[in-house]
Amino acid sequence: MNKAHLAAGALLLLTAACGGSGGPGGSGADDGPVTLTYALWDDAQQGAYQQCADAFHKANPGITITINQAAWDQYWQNLTTQMVSGKAPDVITMQTTYYPQFVKNGQLLDLGPMAEADKVDFGQYRPGLADLWVKDGKRYGLPKDWDTIAIVYNTALVKKAGLDLGDLTWNPADGGTFEKALARLTVDTSGRRGDEPGFDKSKVAVYGIVAELNDGSQGQNGWGDLAVSNGFRYIDKNPFGTRYFYDDPKLAETAAWFRRLMDKGYAAPYDKKSSLGPDVVLGSGKGALGITGSWMIKTYLDSTEQKFAFAPLPTGPQGRKSAYNGLADTVYAGTEHPEAAWKWVKFLGSTACQDIVADSAVAFPAITSSTERAVKAHKAAHRDVSAFTSQADAPGGTFLLPVSDHGDEIDQIVGTAMEEVWLGQKDARTALTAANQRVNALFTAGG
Amino acid sequence: MNRPSRIRIGRPLAWACLILAVVISLFPLYWMLRTAITPGRELAGDNAGLLPRHPTLLNFERVLGLTTREEARAAGGSGADLDFFRYLGNSILYTGLVTAVQTLLCAMAGYAFARLRFPGRDLLFGMFVAALMVPPIFTLLPNFVLVKELGWLDTVPGLVAPSLLMTPFAVFFLRQFFLGVPRDVEQAALIDGAGKGLIFWRVVLPMSRGPLLTLALTTAVWTWNDYLWPLLVAPGEETRVLTAALGIFLKQSPNTAPDWTGLMAGSVLSIIPVLLLVVFFGRRLVDSIQFSGMKG
Amino acid sequence: MLLRQGEPAAPPVAGPAHRLKAGARGDGRLAAAFLAPALIGFGLFYLYPALRGAWYSMTDWNLLSRPRFVGLDNYARLLHDPLFWNSLKVTAGYVVLNLGIQLVAGLGLAALLHRLTRSLVLRSLLVVPWLVPNVTTGLLWMWLLDADLGFVNHLLTGAGLPAQGFLTSPDLALPSVAVITSWSGTGYTALLLYAGMLLVPRHVYEAAALDGSGEIRTFFRVTLPLMRPILAFVLVVSLIDSFQLFDAVAVTTKGGPVNATRVIYHYIYEQAFTHFKMGYASALALSLVLVLGVLTFVQMRLLRASASDLA
Repeated sequence: MNKAHLAAGALLLLTAACGGSGGPGGSGADDGPVTLTYALWDDAQQGAYQQCADAFHKANPGITITINQAAWDQYWQNLTTQMVSGKAPDVITMQTTYYPQFVKNGQLLDLGPMAEADKVDFGQYRPGLADLWVKDGKRYGLPKDWDTIAIVYNTALVKKAGLDLGDLTWNPADGGTFEKALARLTVDTSGRRGDEPGFDKSKVAVYGIVAELNDGSQGQNGWGDLAVSNGFRYIDKNPFGTRYFYDDPKLAETAAWFRRLMDKGYAAPYDKKSSLGPDVVLGSGKGALGITGSWMIKTYLDSTEQKFAFAPLPTGPQGRKSAYNGLADTVYAGTEHPEAAWKWVKFLGSTACQDIVADSAVAFPAITSSTERAVKAHKAAHRDVSAFTSQADAPGGTFLLPVSDHGDEIDQIVGTAMEEVWLGQKDARTALTAANQRVNALFTAGG
Repeated sequence: MNRPSRIRIGRPLAWACLILAVVISLFPLYWMLRTAITPGRELAGDNAGLLPRHPTLLNFERVLGLTTREEARAAGGSGADLDFFRYLGNSILYTGLVTAVQTLLCAMAGYAFARLRFPGRDLLFGMFVAALMVPPIFTLLPNFVLVKELGWLDTVPGLVAPSLLMTPFAVFFLRQFFLGVPRDVEQAALIDGAGKGLIFWRVVLPMSRGPLLTLALTTAVWTWNDYLWPLLVAPGEETRVLTAALGIFLKQSPNTAPDWTGLMAGSVLSIIPVLLLVVFFGRRLVDSIQFSGMKG
Repeated sequence: MLLRQGEPAAPPVAGPAHRLKAGARGDGRLAAAFLAPALIGFGLFYLYPALRGAWYSMTDWNLLSRPRFVGLDNYARLLHDPLFWNSLKVTAGYVVLNLGIQLVAGLGLAALLHRLTRSLVLRSLLVVPWLVPNVTTGLLWMWLLDADLGFVNHLLTGAGLPAQGFLTSPDLALPSVAVITSWSGTGYTALLLYAGMLLVPRHVYEAAALDGSGEIRTFFRVTLPLMRPILAFVLVVSLIDSFQLFDAVAVTTKGGPVNATRVIYHYIYEQAFTHFKMGYASALALSLVLVLGVLTFVQMRLLRASASDLA
């Protein structure tokens, strides 16, 4: 071991001359100027948070914020390897599926005492958001933003079909007016619509729906919302329940309904769907409608190829239900500057920053008053986002996505089971019951 | 493929097959270029013709960081910061350092195994041969940890460390080559009183330019294309290499599509160095592959 | 590290090897100097990590916590892990597909080159795909094969055929990945085989031609048997290389749909860096070492046998 280190040292000498540097070394005095790294993934939001960082630096000249942006596909792996190396960003944008495992391994700082000392008012945030980030009495994050789900549709195609999507209904048996609308919106290559005689489902030019079905264990962008509106409940307790209910027939019915859409030709067969993401397919005009989250508002409304608008989700047997989720800013437990990091998180979680985010209209801020400001900003830009906001305000109109341990594994198990359903390899009941057993086994296996 | 048995029909048909193979080899690369010059916002509706309707160089400008974030996003691309020339520099540094140092050190080791007499030689060499059989992923994980313990994550030493000093394959390859070199030349120099060390530098190395270049070229191509290791140990801005940097055009947030036009523009730029290699070293490269074939 | 496609083939142990006895004095010091860097590298980045990997495989280490010794638990788990066995099956399927395509197409191309032209330009062009980074290759083909907007499907629909979900259909995904990697490797393989063909003496062909043997007949009766050593060699390299498929899968299908392309390398990677089960991933990796060791041994026997056949 010692020899190895010696030899490694020699190697360092050998290579250091060639432009390497051996790491910054620990000069951890908090009184001097401090530079914090702040990690986020959404490039669309980087500009707004840069403005926050500049404003923060103005107020606290001793602290500089460097934003570290990585694409979603790499973000979590980067983060883990950085944590392993003890060099993770000081402040991290966190998502609910991933945060329990970081908490479990002691990688996130308990912000509770500091929040208490500084008397952070959790009442300023929209209800429910702040509680997601508490586990065993410890607080790991301050809410940053929230999102809900709505229908996005191609206005020209919907107009041509003579439809109004303002108040659709849905049930897993016959699909309600939602399915009728999807049938009407589907057009084959000879121009016949899905609800007309002679419709050829093997030659579809425009699909009624471009469904995001490869959607992990939550189905945030489609099956999850409809399943909940059908009476499905994910987990016994949220956050941090220990028993999932993926074997619920209500969920199986919903999944089976989505599968039937493919059989009828209203949605692209799963094995022939584009790997490009619904926004691109909808942008190419090969689909009429999709189910999407509020973080996609700008992407769709700024599209130059097609005109899009939003409509509320269909009303299911148990009402209209949208997934409701939020991100938070958390502090890395290994940070050298916990106080400075907390200051920045506090700033991010205050109106000072969230109003900036609101004005840029890239996300709905977690603070109620800032959200109102964001809605105004959208209105000023002639963007109608009421489908998202009115759903968020409707009593009982939203449900929180499940937060629990083993999120990454559950995501894979349920995601794969759903794929089996979409591909017709297994029927929904069988696949989901088996998946649920494996999911719940994770919690009993003493982990 | 070459079904024709009569030469007269056979030859044109055979040529057709060969040309088809070349087209299959090259067309995807043309498509890469074609996508790279398509405006990002039009790609969804303009992806079938041989040429885009409105060719543009904007994607290349984006990749080279000549546009602002807002311009990039307005063009339908990723607004992520991208420092192309730094990544290019890192790739060149990584490739150059590994290729040069590894080839030289492995030549020395190969020569020692082939020509020098010392105790334990066969045992040592046996270990190297055994290491040939270990899949890289097995050492990848612990090597990652080792580099982390040395505090070398996100540094050039960490990036090059595992392959800088040797790979069992390079040692094995060159040892086999040196075994086959006639001893007469060395013998003559020995008689002239030169030491074996000197002979290696003055006689053997210059004689072995061919195989050394063979090894160096393939090591260079392979290092240039390396993805997983740099992604793991050097994801940081300072040390990121090109292959890892292309990931920036992947999905920025869930449920969005990759930035295809930016990605393809970046890919075009990233293969220009290897294409130059073909242009300038075409014969050498082809010869070196064939050299392996002949020896096989 | 293993042979991988792209690394030049090693010359086999040659004849005039062990004639060292003549200048029989020890070269200990010089040898030590010459070997020192390689030995340091070997010890630090091969031997030490291999030992550590073996140790991790007996712990429950998750990268962030302290490793805890669990004995052979990981191996016991592995035996009952359907995804592990599935990944071996998928890998084997890929190996067969990839080897099949590359050998057949490579041989065909080599034969065409050999009989038609000595053009260097042509050979250089054929080897270009091999120079493209695997990641780029994967991304490029993901775009070309896209179910909606991909060029290949434009060709299909243009010819009146239905579009295919090359990377999204469980039946097509693995063959598609094999086609992608073959695109990148076939030119290289063809060049290796072409070089092997050049070694067949001209008079052999002349004799065959005198006997009135046609092109095809000559190829199968004369060329192919004489190429057995190089064929065996290409087989070994490609086989071991195929077992390490990672980049193309990581970029295009991420192991899906429904595990159809979850090859062993990707499975190990996923356990280690998605689920952070470093202990289990190490056990998987060590099992792969065993599988590859056995395979290499068998292959070496094959290689030796065919070499002596022709000596």
